[in-house]
Amino acid sequence: MLAYILRRLMMIPFLLLGVASVSFLLSQMTKGDPLAALVPERMMSNPDIVNAVKAQWGLDQPLPVRYVIYLGNLVQGDLGTSFSTRRPVATDIAERLPATLELVVAAMVIGTVMGLALGLLSARFRGTLFDSVARIFALIGSSLPIFWSGLILLYLLSVRISFVPGTGRLPPRVTAPPDVTGFYTVDALIAGNVPLFLQALSHLALPAFVLGWAVTGVITRLVRSSLIEGLSLDYARTARAKGAPERTVLVKHALPNAMIPLLTILGFTFAYLITGAVLTEAIFSWPGIGSYAVRAAASLDYPAIGGVTIVGSVAFLLANLLTDIAYAWANPRIKVH
Amino acid sequence: MKHFSLKQGLSALLLAGTAITAAPALAQDSDTLVIARSMDVNSLDPSRAFCDTCQFYLTAVYETLVTLDADNKTLVPNLAASWEVNDDFTEFTFTLKDATFADGSPVEASDVVWTFERLKNLKGSPSFLMDGLTGAEAVDAKTVKFTVEAPNAEFLNKVSAPYAGIINAEVAEANGATAGEDAAEADKSEPWFLANSAGSGPFTLASYAPEAELRLAKNDAYWGTAPAFSEVVVTQIQDAVSQAQALETGQVDIAMQIDPDTARSIRSGDVTTEIVPSFNFVYIGFIPGAKGMEEVLTPEVRQALALAIDYDGMLDFTVGGNGAKQAAPIPNGFPGTSGLTPREQDLEKAKEMLAAAGAEGLKLTAGYPNDNIYGVDFNIMMQKVQQDFAAVGVELELKPLTWAVWRDELGAGEWPVTAVYYAPDYYGSGQYIAYFAMIEGFPWVGRASVGKPELVVNPAEAELYAKALATAGADSEAAYTALGEEMMKDAIILPLVSPNLVLAYRNDIEGVRYSACCNLPLAEITRK
Repeated sequence: MLAYILRRLMMIPFLLLGVASVSFLLSQMTKGDPLAALVPERMMSNPDIVNAVKAQWGLDQPLPVRYVIYLGNLVQGDLGTSFSTRRPVATDIAERLPATLELVVAAMVIGTVMGLALGLLSARFRGTLFDSVARIFALIGSSLPIFWSGLILLYLLSVRISFVPGTGRLPPRVTAPPDVTGFYTVDALIAGNVPLFLQALSHLALPAFVLGWAVTGVITRLVRSSLIEGLSLDYARTARAKGAPERTVLVKHALPNAMIPLLTILGFTFAYLITGAVLTEAIFSWPGIGSYAVRAAASLDYPAIGGVTIVGSVAFLLANLLTDIAYAWANPRIKVH
Repeated sequence: MKHFSLKQGLSALLLAGTAITAAPALAQDSDTLVIARSMDVNSLDPSRAFCDTCQFYLTAVYETLVTLDADNKTLVPNLAASWEVNDDFTEFTFTLKDATFADGSPVEASDVVWTFERLKNLKGSPSFLMDGLTGAEAVDAKTVKFTVEAPNAEFLNKVSAPYAGIINAEVAEANGATAGEDAAEADKSEPWFLANSAGSGPFTLASYAPEAELRLAKNDAYWGTAPAFSEVVVTQIQDAVSQAQALETGQVDIAMQIDPDTARSIRSGDVTTEIVPSFNFVYIGFIPGAKGMEEVLTPEVRQALALAIDYDGMLDFTVGGNGAKQAAPIPNGFPGTSGLTPREQDLEKAKEMLAAAGAEGLKLTAGYPNDNIYGVDFNIMMQKVQQDFAAVGVELELKPLTWAVWRDELGAGEWPVTAVYYAPDYYGSGQYIAYFAMIEGFPWVGRASVGKPELVVNPAEAELYAKALATAGADSEAAYTALGEEMMKDAIILPLVSPNLVLAYRNDIEGVRYSACCNLPLAEITRK
């Protein structure tokens, strides 16, 4: 098992090199002015500035030379300097990734807990009013666009009734806790600052709920349908024949069998949200990696595009690995080789 | 039993949910000023930066020799106590006040010389402010003299631009900056300026997280009148609606990018909104050098198309009437504009001119950035242009593009019509001539002609421009008026709307104003 994990981990750098090459070449081939983020519109017709900027950023070199330089730096762990923020891409990512991770982890917890609970209960009470309500709730979550649900909930819960605070990770007047994990909630607790923890948590609650609601929808439907299918199979009938109560049949027998598809979905949803929580980040002014990625792509910020692509790939590769390991845990019949 | 524990678990979760909804921290009595804005920072180095956010950041942290008074017209002393200009506007001598930088060292003539030479040699976006600078000399510690190669009555206005803020040369040099002729390659200080500052202004840079937060701290050693706030936080909030919400809930004190429509939707009685004219404008530009357009987009056809536009309707359509029409590509209120009359729609004449030019059934394409600038949605604006052109039988195909693609296609002359915007860098009409006039080598000649300057160059303008820069007062204004008229005759740049600006702030905030050079002067803001 350990050897398997190590082998998978060792493949990651090679896969990343491939991903980085493809992303580099694709972004270079994309139509558009490569100086879009480097020279303001007003100055783009000024040859002095354009030439100085090209020389400064190495854009006067032919593509193969730039590719070799890029890969050389990459191997040494240097992701380059962002055209837009003018800072090392690694610094930008280190600053923004924890914000996204905190949001996505919270959303996944909310989504998984609610999705499992609703899925279980609606399978148990299928055909009842509860089942219908739970399914409608799940359906709304997975089909409402986040930019709409986010804006409406923000307006109702924050502007109208002040139930939750506004956007951002903390109130603007408050300074962030000393950086340890990058998760403001965790860092505030490490610093022993409970009021700050509560502020960070209350800022996290709504965006995490909005994102988690969307996840809930997917998980509820998956859990419900797998359980209902399981409940009609032979092993469920046998369990009932032994006199097991329906609850036991559901939780002890049907649920473990629903775990495999659930783990797959959870793994990939998590990886997807790392770079895919863009809308939530935009609505809640959450300074995460998703909005960074969108800005980078729109302005042809090659180094930032490359950096974000690598982060996204690592997220997928790790999620994939963890899912495979979790399979073996959830179903001992699966052996990893 | 399990069923019950699940229920209990859910109730515990709900309880926890209510516990975390702590009341939001409110603004009252806070020593921190919070501003909501979608930041467009491209650098925090005065000599490299070029953006709307940069304008007010630099004004708060660095100080210029002269600055623009609240009347948005008069230049007043800032770091310079007084100045002298020779008769032909080629020599400018400034006497400095006894000011100090944030580290306590005095602001001296050598810092001013160093700053201006670096600004010129960095070949950055604001380097144009030093175009024509031939000499910079520290006469003594408190006197500095600049020489320009040709008369330039606007030099004083140029040095009032926030990008000409004076930098503490010693501190900057210790952190990689250089003013030498090789500064464009040798200066390595840009990262340092993103985390530190070296100015003499009322604030210093505390921290900056790109596209998230910009924090300024009061300069405790400030040589002038101390600012009212000990801290200013600019927090990234992308769109106007979210900015308005943050303002209503008291999360922020000022929202900088609210459009008049959104301002009307604010219900809170704790918020003040003021609508003021701005010096920004949006325009469409014709590109006769575009592929296949040389013989088509003649001056007559351009004039006819200019007459086809319903300028009053455009104002209602784009900004709900919250703006002004503008005659030439020089903003209303700038020198020379009082004598100019905005165009009026004249469909009959437009049709006649098109028929005379044999341009009936004309088909054009407009490529423009798919963006919303100063509250004007470019898509909506261009749809109105499309409708107006259709009324004279000209078909306009619309092609909204990302900025990167737009820039690429503009340079290649892919389409003959485009749309852009302009916000002033300082108070003065010369910057508009230097950008829009049809004078050989100027930016818009390149854009409009795509390498065939003879298509668009207007020989009268170079002479008028030289005259405008070599005179002052009424003579200079008359030259700018004549230039405005010539540019209207060129019909390359058609200003459509100068959108109004909304100043939106909490009722307990005072001193919010819009400055033509500096956007929002932070040091003037106080809490009641």
